[in-house]
Amino acid sequence: MARMKFICDAERCIECNGCVTACKSEHEVPWGVNRRRLVTVNDGVPGERSISVSCMHCSDAPCMAVCPVDCFYKTDEGIVLHDKDLCIGCGYCFYACPFGAPQFPQAGAFGLRGKMDKCTYCSGGPEENHSAEEFRKYGRNRLAEGKLPACAEMCSTKALLAGDAEVITKIYKTRVVTRGKGEEIWGWSMAYGGSDKLSDLPGGKA
Amino acid sequence: MKNAKPSSRRNFLLTAGLGTAGVAAAVATATRGEKPRAAMPGATEGSGYRLSEHVQKYYKTTKV
Repeated sequence: MARMKFICDAERCIECNGCVTACKSEHEVPWGVNRRRLVTVNDGVPGERSISVSCMHCSDAPCMAVCPVDCFYKTDEGIVLHDKDLCIGCGYCFYACPFGAPQFPQAGAFGLRGKMDKCTYCSGGPEENHSAEEFRKYGRNRLAEGKLPACAEMCSTKALLAGDAEVITKIYKTRVVTRGKGEEIWGWSMAYGGSDKLSDLPGGKA
Repeated sequence: MKNAKPSSRRNFLLTAGLGTAGVAAAVATATRGEKPRAAMPGATEGSGYRLSEHVQKYYKTTKV
């Protein structure tokens, strides 16, 4: 079974916000809610880097652990989704998430937030596939259409990669090896699997 | 005779009201099952990720 993941290649991201726009447009995300956004490190300084951030669909998701109504669930492909009918808008998931992924559509008196909204990896929600109800609550279900998330497909420089973890880590690793730096970073094999040796990569340097 | 005119007016208003309600009900029924966007042809089977032609094409573009 494939395990779906995002990787953002900071060396390629040109901060065009195409991924952010694609997401908002595809799912008709309301004003004030950003399922995906760009974070720039050392903005304005030579050598600045940008990465596209959304829900990273964690393997051991902290949002799932803290939700008092247990509205989160994980699909067979490792995608973390939630049921808006169960969500009480408490905001615990927002405090638990290291990426700031959970979004809330309202900011009213007495902590009123509304139902939480976040990236669904373009795979809808618990409603019937392609139903009007699914689209209204969670957006379009591209995965069921045989596609990948709109943000990654829209990315002009292909900095944002989405898909089966096995496939995209190989693509990313090939890029790093081609650049000739970065692959030696400690923990590479833990993060992306496989071996740290360049020779183990198909077409990699010996 | 004196009541004939107001009665026909009431009937007209009643008929118009019922007609409007009927049209509204028909529109509501028609739009209830409407999908936001039609699914891609040939992409209706399966509910999750699969290595479709579209996905394979995407993987190819990332290797540039």
